[in-house]
Amino acid sequence: MDASMPLRLQLTGITKQFPGVLANDNISFGVKPGEIHALLGENGAGKSTLVKMIYGIMQPDAGEIRWNGEPVVITNPKAARKLGIGMVFQHFSLFEALTVLENIALGMDGSLKSRELEARIREVMHTYGLLLDPHRTVATLSVGERQRIEIVRALLLDPKLLIMDEPTSVLTPQEVEQLFEVLRKLAAQGCSILYISHKLDEIKALCDTATILRGGKLVDTCDPKQETSRSMAEKMIGTGLRDIVRAKGRQLGAPKLVVSRLSTHKTGHFDVPVNDVSFTVRAGEIFGIAGVAGNGQNALLDALSGEILGDDKEAITLDGYPLGLLNTTGRRKRGLCAVPEERNGHAAVGEFSLADNSVLTARDRLGMVMLGLINSGAAKTYTGKVIADFAVKALGPGSMAGSLSGGNLQKYIMGREILQRPSVLVVSQPTWGVDAGAAAAIHQALVDLAAEGSAIVVISQDLDELLALCDTLAVINLGRLSAARPVGEVSVEEIGLLMGGVHGATEASNAVPA
Amino acid sequence: MLFRLEKRREPSQLMRYLTPVAAVVLTMVVGAIIFSLIGYDGIGAVREIFLTPLTNSYKWQDLGVKAAPLIIIGVGLSIAYRANVWNIGAEGQYVVGGLAGTWVALATHGLNGPWILPLMVLAGVLGGMAYAAIPALLRTRLNVNEILTSLMLTYASVQLIYYLIRAPWKDPMGMGFPQTRLFAEAARLPTILPGTIVHLGVPIAVLVALVAWFIMSRSVFGYQMRVVGTAPHAARYGGFSENKTIWLAMLVSGGLAGLAGVLEVAGPFQRMVPGFPTNYGFTAIIVAFLGRLNPLGVIFAGLVMAITFVGGEVAQTTIGLPNAATGIFQAMVLFFLLGGDLLVRYRVRRVHGAAAPGTA
Amino acid sequence: MEIIIPIIVTLVFAATPILLAALGELVVEKSGVLNLGVEGMMLVGAIAGFAGQFYTGNPYFALLCGAMAGAATSIIFGFLTLSLSANQTATGLALTIFGTGFSALAGAPFSARPIQLMGPLFPAELASHPVLRVVFGYSAPVYFSFFMVFAVWYFLEKTRPGLILRAVGENDLSAHSIGYSVKLVRYLAVLFGGAMAGIAGACFPLLLTPQWAERMTAGRGWIAVALVVFASWRPFRLLGGAYLFGLVMTMELYAKAGGGPLSAIPSELWAALPYLATIIVLVLISIRRDASTNAPACLGKPFLPTN
Repeated sequence: MDASMPLRLQLTGITKQFPGVLANDNISFGVKPGEIHALLGENGAGKSTLVKMIYGIMQPDAGEIRWNGEPVVITNPKAARKLGIGMVFQHFSLFEALTVLENIALGMDGSLKSRELEARIREVMHTYGLLLDPHRTVATLSVGERQRIEIVRALLLDPKLLIMDEPTSVLTPQEVEQLFEVLRKLAAQGCSILYISHKLDEIKALCDTATILRGGKLVDTCDPKQETSRSMAEKMIGTGLRDIVRAKGRQLGAPKLVVSRLSTHKTGHFDVPVNDVSFTVRAGEIFGIAGVAGNGQNALLDALSGEILGDDKEAITLDGYPLGLLNTTGRRKRGLCAVPEERNGHAAVGEFSLADNSVLTARDRLGMVMLGLINSGAAKTYTGKVIADFAVKALGPGSMAGSLSGGNLQKYIMGREILQRPSVLVVSQPTWGVDAGAAAAIHQALVDLAAEGSAIVVISQDLDELLALCDTLAVINLGRLSAARPVGEVSVEEIGLLMGGVHGATEASNAVPA
Repeated sequence: MLFRLEKRREPSQLMRYLTPVAAVVLTMVVGAIIFSLIGYDGIGAVREIFLTPLTNSYKWQDLGVKAAPLIIIGVGLSIAYRANVWNIGAEGQYVVGGLAGTWVALATHGLNGPWILPLMVLAGVLGGMAYAAIPALLRTRLNVNEILTSLMLTYASVQLIYYLIRAPWKDPMGMGFPQTRLFAEAARLPTILPGTIVHLGVPIAVLVALVAWFIMSRSVFGYQMRVVGTAPHAARYGGFSENKTIWLAMLVSGGLAGLAGVLEVAGPFQRMVPGFPTNYGFTAIIVAFLGRLNPLGVIFAGLVMAITFVGGEVAQTTIGLPNAATGIFQAMVLFFLLGGDLLVRYRVRRVHGAAAPGTA
Repeated sequence: MEIIIPIIVTLVFAATPILLAALGELVVEKSGVLNLGVEGMMLVGAIAGFAGQFYTGNPYFALLCGAMAGAATSIIFGFLTLSLSANQTATGLALTIFGTGFSALAGAPFSARPIQLMGPLFPAELASHPVLRVVFGYSAPVYFSFFMVFAVWYFLEKTRPGLILRAVGENDLSAHSIGYSVKLVRYLAVLFGGAMAGIAGACFPLLLTPQWAERMTAGRGWIAVALVVFASWRPFRLLGGAYLFGLVMTMELYAKAGGGPLSAIPSELWAALPYLATIIVLVLISIRRDASTNAPACLGKPFLPTN
């Protein structure tokens, strides 16, 4: 690119204060035309806040934004689009009940005739290889296809800067490669891309420049190709990573949780049911289930926890005892505890105190109920112990669960279940949206629980987490579970193919591992 | 913009209990202004409606008698609303409870014994429960919205009264009036203070509220109602069935409305008349909210609403304010309360300098 | 023929207020707002329409009064639920309590003072013709309701503002993030719903019983809310649903008038029939199961943007 050209986007001293948090502290950097610029940082580092200000969703408290050299005030997303800034959100802002065409029309400011719009959409789709039927209802599309709508919507405006917020977190490795192709094509045509991620290898593969944020502050702007993943990770996290400590020469015990031919019924429109899933988890084993979001993970967790009941009592057994027809309370009494993915509103009640949240799942195992009355003293004592043992940042057992940060709430929830010493623990996304320190603590607690002889099932979309944590790994795709493999024997490529539904090597996907 | 709303980290407990009081005070102030503007004696109206019933000791027994059904129904509704079960057909359940009690009273006419009144009360509670069971069944089996069904049943229940007292239950000595005969002594609710109209229903109302408060705050049942109402997904995770909760909430609120109905027909009315539905079931909705869905709060809220009922009658005779004014004051209390809820979740901050985008 | 035509004419008249109110509520709900105050807004519209006719004798002005009064009442609801994010269910109930009280207070001086019914739109040769009056025998609000069924459908399905309104009801946070003003769209929808409910209310004294009576809408507003569910949020189905109720209410009128097989059933049962029919209709639609799939996803939920 011509060095004399003004920067496409230049931020100077951008600052944003939220109650109790300085989300962005004096951030300054620039993006050149045609550059793929990574914005790197942990969850909570301030990336999302920063791009929301660039896209006009929020206003900075201080600082200046320059666009092609001119200072601008971007009052709302419409103004951003007018300048030529497009954005693809991490959580798609799509309308399930509307068609692809209607969804895209809503994102367009002009009043294009729907026939002309459709022609333009087809043109953009063809140019970039983003294929979709404009008349399909969004509810019927896969996650990858939905992302394509967002990208097409952004591209229709001929953006000069495209903001991509964690675009690959929901994609298979193959879909990621396709996305990168599109982005490279765009950059070659002069469109700048601001690529938000915390995945280091992706950034090394794709980006020209990387700006690293930590705790709301800019740490460094560097060339990711000159850096190692380790060096960028340290800038991102700050302190050196703590490794998981496990006892050497562990022996896995007898089968504890045996799931055989478990299926669930389809409950909602957007729900993928579990289809004929079988696996065994032994005492002391951490069993990982990988997969792209929306492939039946939620149904599997609910079927294991007892929120969805099947009709075969032998489908789930714990130490040989059939659990298949027991509800969550019954299963907890037998020793099976579970942590769903959604924290606020599912694993915990945001409007309740932490002590009341302990009553939610620990009341029977820890004797908090007598003659139908709740022993609130016992609940407070136990909650205090969870707060202390898991270093939960909360004022005390009386704090509202909703007032905790995501990471702290997750530590509390994990602590609440782990301290009940379940003989089987099923967790979904144990460290999703949790900062590195808390994630390490949660991982260690899971390893320690396994070391005491519990069987643990971890459902996660984060492959790195599963590879670091688990003894055994299986992949869930469209509600079916692949054969389980010991972690040391399986390559990332193989898992990627399984995640994408390529079942070449695994015809016997129902086999129970020996 | 001079003010900005800022979300609180935790809902303010102070505001939660301050806003109902503020709502009543604001209603008095704004009510006085509005009624003055439309040509009434606004200050007089507020004085007569809100203060006279309190300063005139003669009116106190009236207050107790009017508050009792409001509190009993309001307690039931506060439990149901906690569970996010929108039973707004309490008026109908009150009517059916009253009719069930009437049926026992008429069937036992000519008999005597201390068992008649308890049997009537039992019939009233069961009647209210049965009538609430219809929306419960439709909601749990077919996912039919309970707001609409319970309300439609209220309209139908009024027709049921008209039918029964016009034909099968009509007082043969009633000179053609559509009403039942006067209940026998054994089927009438005794007064507890000699020489007053304060009947047994008044202490029963207080007792109901106290028991409900204990159950809601200390028991697994109360926990279940709260957790299902607040976070149904989390409730399922915690092992609580949503359908069971809906049933319990409907039966408890329906049963209590039925109880209020039978106490009312055996107490103040002592016979079934076309004017039996007196809107207690609807006003109790306001009572439940004003009491912050807390049974102890419901006692005070029931008293406040009883004051407006008694005061409305006073104002009608003293300053000629139409009776409908009471309804407006009651609705205003609820409006201010619902609007004030914002202050429980948000705080108002002064913003200096340039306009900043608000949170709202 | 001599029996059928009067029945049809009566049922169309009886159904029109329900249809108008339900059309308004349909648009409100499509924007994601559940306003249960239809009954209250109708009562306010009824007394305003009555007063307009009483003082001016101009039924069109009276209808306008009803629309303005209904819209004004809906502003209370809009302010509480949209600006102060109050609970929509509770606020709707409060609005109905308020409307009941307000209309009773405002209507007190008018009791037992009759007004003129609104005449038919077409000349008497057509409007009073024994057969043709089945087409030409109605007053303006009836034809207005036909037009509005089509207009609401066209607006929602074929226009860009309609698309935006549906989008806001489907996913308010997304609509907000794209840059649409969720509050503005919902305020406008609520105002439209209020105006339609007000016109519907004004139809009671102008088309049905030419006098003021407390609670003269008798729960028809609630039936309108139920009809929206029954119609799966589709305007043309609303037309069918409203006429079904018109038929039920016409049967009640005939039963009360006496004679024939209808009067063998107690009149109270006839009076209760519209309400029981509402329940039956709700049960039927829930058995068909496709109803909920068309419900706006944000219906009744407060809009709380995170930033």
